[in-house]
Amino acid sequence: MKRYLRLYLYFLRFSFSKAMEFRIDFTFRIVMDCIYYVVNILFFKVIYLHTPMLGGWREDEIMVFVGAYILIDAINMTIFSTNLWWLPWLINKGELDYYLIRPVNPLFFLSLREFSANSFMNLIIAAGFLIYTLIQYQGSFGAAEIFLFLALILNGSLLYFCIQMLTILPVFWTQSTRGFVDLFYTLGLAMERPHRIYRGFFKILFTTLLPFALIASFPVKVFLEGPDLMTMLHLTAVTISFFALLIFVWGKGLRNYSSASS
Amino acid sequence: MKWWPSVVSLEFRKILVFRTEFWVTFLGQALVQLVIARSLWTAIFEEQKVTEMNGFTLPMLTLYYVIVPIGSRILTGENIGFISREIYEGTFTRYLLYPLSWFQYKTLTYVSYSLFYALQLMVFFLGYKFFLSGGISFSEFGNLLLGLGLFLVSSLVYLMMSMAVELLALWADNIWSLMVMLRFFSNFLGGALIPLAFFPERAQVILSYTPFPNLVSLPARTIMGLTSPEEIFRGLVVVAFWAVVLSFVVNFLWKRGQKNYSGVGI
Repeated sequence: MKRYLRLYLYFLRFSFSKAMEFRIDFTFRIVMDCIYYVVNILFFKVIYLHTPMLGGWREDEIMVFVGAYILIDAINMTIFSTNLWWLPWLINKGELDYYLIRPVNPLFFLSLREFSANSFMNLIIAAGFLIYTLIQYQGSFGAAEIFLFLALILNGSLLYFCIQMLTILPVFWTQSTRGFVDLFYTLGLAMERPHRIYRGFFKILFTTLLPFALIASFPVKVFLEGPDLMTMLHLTAVTISFFALLIFVWGKGLRNYSSASS
Repeated sequence: MKWWPSVVSLEFRKILVFRTEFWVTFLGQALVQLVIARSLWTAIFEEQKVTEMNGFTLPMLTLYYVIVPIGSRILTGENIGFISREIYEGTFTRYLLYPLSWFQYKTLTYVSYSLFYALQLMVFFLGYKFFLSGGISFSEFGNLLLGLGLFLVSSLVYLMMSMAVELLALWADNIWSLMVMLRFFSNFLGGALIPLAFFPERAQVILSYTPFPNLVSLPARTIMGLTSPEEIFRGLVVVAFWAVVLSFVVNFLWKRGQKNYSGVGI
């Protein structure tokens, strides 16, 4: 564990020095994420011009929800995204070998080796926005609610990572350079809407089979309405299942990896 | 011009190399966006207890979101990096050596993608009409063809915008984030996320002088039969104006930027 922590600190150091070499790109990426945040805020501002409630939430409550999902997005952009972006290429070109022969868990190494320094700036901005929405929120809350909310946001980030990986790993079989990652980004829209708008089959789809609604909407539900046993059990069961599924598919994929370039 | 059909045919084959992924992604993206948008607007209509909002009923909004996801793909044509990647890798050199215009070639590859997605939209729309709306009339088919034509014209304006940004690769070390920003703007301001009729009136007036509403909203509403000939004409004038302005920008960037091109790659 200590060895992995030390290794991760090296990853951080290299990532920051690399980011500083491409300063224009560094700035562009910060601006890009800020525009993503603004578009998402404006989207709900326009929606609330036409309705006072959405999925049972007022505008100040939906802004907490927006703050939560942009924070989760920023966490994933900072920690995982750059690594996952290159993973299909490494598999497709047979370059995974260099990572498999090192004396480190390859899933750890491939998922965490590049820390996105520019997204870290956006992580600070996203956290600032969430704090602002919490100040604007008309209800009351204490330290315990905040602590649980943050824990569930981290859980949402893990779930987001698991689903993203599961859309990439089919490249072990299809040999392409994309996998289903474009579909993942589209499905990501389901994370950006409150879970109560989904009905019938789609409710099951987005809360259990493709649990995007659990990533941000459920943590906000727990924060606004208080925790209940069923919600907490649901969140825990789905997260554990998806993490176990990821480990299983990763293992199967590695067994299928031929190392040949395609 | 003799080589044009070969380029289009080659690009079509490239699109279909990984067929399973291609079809799963295409159907998945179209259906997911439709389901999410339909769920959102159903919740809003139920909350407001109305059957029409800003000129849209729920079935009309559903049709709008059948068209828009694929329409946006017609617009964005080839993937991000269709010029910048070659500049960074140093392979752009071939367009400087071979006896063909890089501008023509890149336009053609881009339009090939747009054409392919236009065919997909046609099939998807006809499928929706036949299986869920009980058929299509002659005038509705005419609107479909007119709307697809507008999407293709708009894709040329978007191509000019993309080229202007992609050519910045001759100066900047990475322009991927700028292209993503362009997509955010065109999606939101073009009406791909929310129909522009729901925007505040002042915002709609300001937007009408920009190319954005003509990129997604105008062609989509034309397919739905919601636009007048005057509106289409006005949209085409705005699009033509921006196409000319942007072509000057592209030309200027290329003339200045090629002096910076080393051909080495980074």
